[in-house]
Amino acid sequence: MRTNYRMNSGVRFQMLSDDQLEEMFWGVLHLLEHTGLDVKHEEARDILEKAGAWVDGERVRIPSYLVKESLRMAPRSFTLYARDGNPKHDIRIGPGRAHFGPGPTCPNFIDVETLDRRPYVRSDVPIVARVVDALPDIDFCESLGTVSDVHHDLGALYEFASMFPNTSKPIVAWSYDQHDSAGIHQIAVAEAGGQRAFEQRPNYVHYCEPLSPLVSTFEALEKLIFAAKHRIPLIFTPCPIAGGTGPVTAAGIVTQGAAESWMGLCVAQALQPGLPFFMGGVYSVMDMNAMILAYGAPELPLFMAGITELAHYAGLPLWQTGGCTDSKCFDGQAVIEGSMSVFFSALSGGDLCHDVGYTESAMTGSVFQLCAMDEAIGYARRITRGIDVNDDTLAVNVIHDVGPNGHYLKEKHTRRHFKSEFWYPNLLDRQDFESWEMTGGLTLKDRTVARVRDILATHSPSPIKPETEKVIEKVLAQAEERVKEK
Amino acid sequence: MSESLERISTAILEGDEEKAPKLVARALRKQVSAKDILENALLVGMGEVGVRFKAGDMFVPEVLMSAEAMRASMELLRPELIREGVQLFGKILMGTVKGDLHDIGKNLVNMMCEGAGFEVIDLGFNAAPEKFLDAIKEHQPQIVGMSAMLTTTMRAMGYTIKAIEEAGLRDQVKIMVGGAPVDAEFAKRIGADGYGSNAPAGAELAKQFVGAA
Repeated sequence: MRTNYRMNSGVRFQMLSDDQLEEMFWGVLHLLEHTGLDVKHEEARDILEKAGAWVDGERVRIPSYLVKESLRMAPRSFTLYARDGNPKHDIRIGPGRAHFGPGPTCPNFIDVETLDRRPYVRSDVPIVARVVDALPDIDFCESLGTVSDVHHDLGALYEFASMFPNTSKPIVAWSYDQHDSAGIHQIAVAEAGGQRAFEQRPNYVHYCEPLSPLVSTFEALEKLIFAAKHRIPLIFTPCPIAGGTGPVTAAGIVTQGAAESWMGLCVAQALQPGLPFFMGGVYSVMDMNAMILAYGAPELPLFMAGITELAHYAGLPLWQTGGCTDSKCFDGQAVIEGSMSVFFSALSGGDLCHDVGYTESAMTGSVFQLCAMDEAIGYARRITRGIDVNDDTLAVNVIHDVGPNGHYLKEKHTRRHFKSEFWYPNLLDRQDFESWEMTGGLTLKDRTVARVRDILATHSPSPIKPETEKVIEKVLAQAEERVKEK
Repeated sequence: MSESLERISTAILEGDEEKAPKLVARALRKQVSAKDILENALLVGMGEVGVRFKAGDMFVPEVLMSAEAMRASMELLRPELIREGVQLFGKILMGTVKGDLHDIGKNLVNMMCEGAGFEVIDLGFNAAPEKFLDAIKEHQPQIVGMSAMLTTTMRAMGYTIKAIEEAGLRDQVKIMVGGAPVDAEFAKRIGADGYGSNAPAGAELAKQFVGAA
């Protein structure tokens, strides 16, 4: 037994000092206590007032002791479960663990057959879910799009109903309102085997989004309250844009965004102490020329590393962002921007990193970007796994035995470790020129398209229970009935 | 394929250096012909190794284990094959050319070629053209293999080929070259018959030269 040995099984990375984090933490508490937020939901205001907040019309200010109490109640470590009990698809949230998945709600999609950009439709959902299910370094599922070919109010519900049977990886679900949320929850609970079973093994996370700057909207809180009451793990994630809806400075946007998330935290913990809660979300710059929220800007991973460190300092998991691009197509820009943010996200250890597969500044979802980023995530994870140092890996005896001018290819030590020590690419090409030419001289794009199509031709996710299928049919029929007059 | 032959080919595929020759010895005791063992067990196993390596399902350390199992089996089998009058793949003369002290890559090619069933005569490293000429005359190989690791020493492969031509021996042998800086274009330019980009490719090329691939 080795004692007093600081094991470091990952790569150490910290951007902000503890003193800087303490200053930002104070900044968030100060904002919540002195400025407060507009809370556009009466029940939420009542819950907060009862818990000790000061309510003045819609404006709610929270004393810092209440924020600290809410932070104390929320867990830092917990598990999100695969619906089919496959432990490889479980997600263990906790320090030093970065997980990745796509984002939601892009209006457009890159067609997997024609490679053209066109509106996202219902039949795209199973494609994304099956690719997510098959890719080894994608951990959770969102759909990469808003379904355009169903009733306007039912996009989110159809999306979940189509994702759920096509991947057993945990899903992050958004919704328009609490009707959607209720339908989604009915499906997930049916598969889990009842509400109590779901609470013990939650198979999805509920996503809600407040408004920057400093507004907790009615819809966000309505969904938050539904999730809290049903003990559904929750993401409460703002999307401030530096220079537009958030301060232009990195420290400022992180501080404002944290305050927006923690208002939701206080409501959630007052309703359901100990509810798993992710703060978030998407922090980037407004490009002052193109006037877009830049998904490929270096400030995005920088801001996200800042909010990740603040979240972990406060003891909360983070809803991260990465693997996304402003590029309109599968090109060098898409891969540079996506890979850089993926690597930075893996380094900072943000707990669930979403928007992998976003292109064109979140206007178009692409399973090809997702598939290429799966490779970048595998690459990044090999680096962040770090270097194991022990007698075996130090290999002093092996070096001695091989001696000068020998070689290691036949050593048992090599055979024992070469598969785990080295990462092997699925998409990146390492052949010599002749072999590359002989195998068709394919580019990364060619290989990525082929891999996605191969997955779609061969991969079948584990099925849901027959009774869940019936529940899905019933939920969709009831929803159609609800909106038929609208 | 009989069960005993299948077990031999499996031992080759799994790279079991101890088990493979034991199974070969047992088969010989049971009056299985050496030709049968070579063609229907050893080469079948190594053939599968080649297929899996190309598909990325096997890696060099594993291929080397199989080659070692093959080499150990061939040591037992070679005298029997000669006695039966079976035509062997032949001999390869192999060396790292003059001025170059690197021989790990060449040694890997040797192992792979032995694994493929060839007899390999190794001239070591820093082998001058005269050394190649003497050895060709002495051993009468079907194939000459040359290796260089450095851009500064790869020229010596060209000089060696020229020396072989001038000695009137060029028509007797197929020449293959390899090494980190070498590519197909260079091999062609210096008048070699072929080039292997890595050790398994070198063994494949040798098999093509003798019409066994």
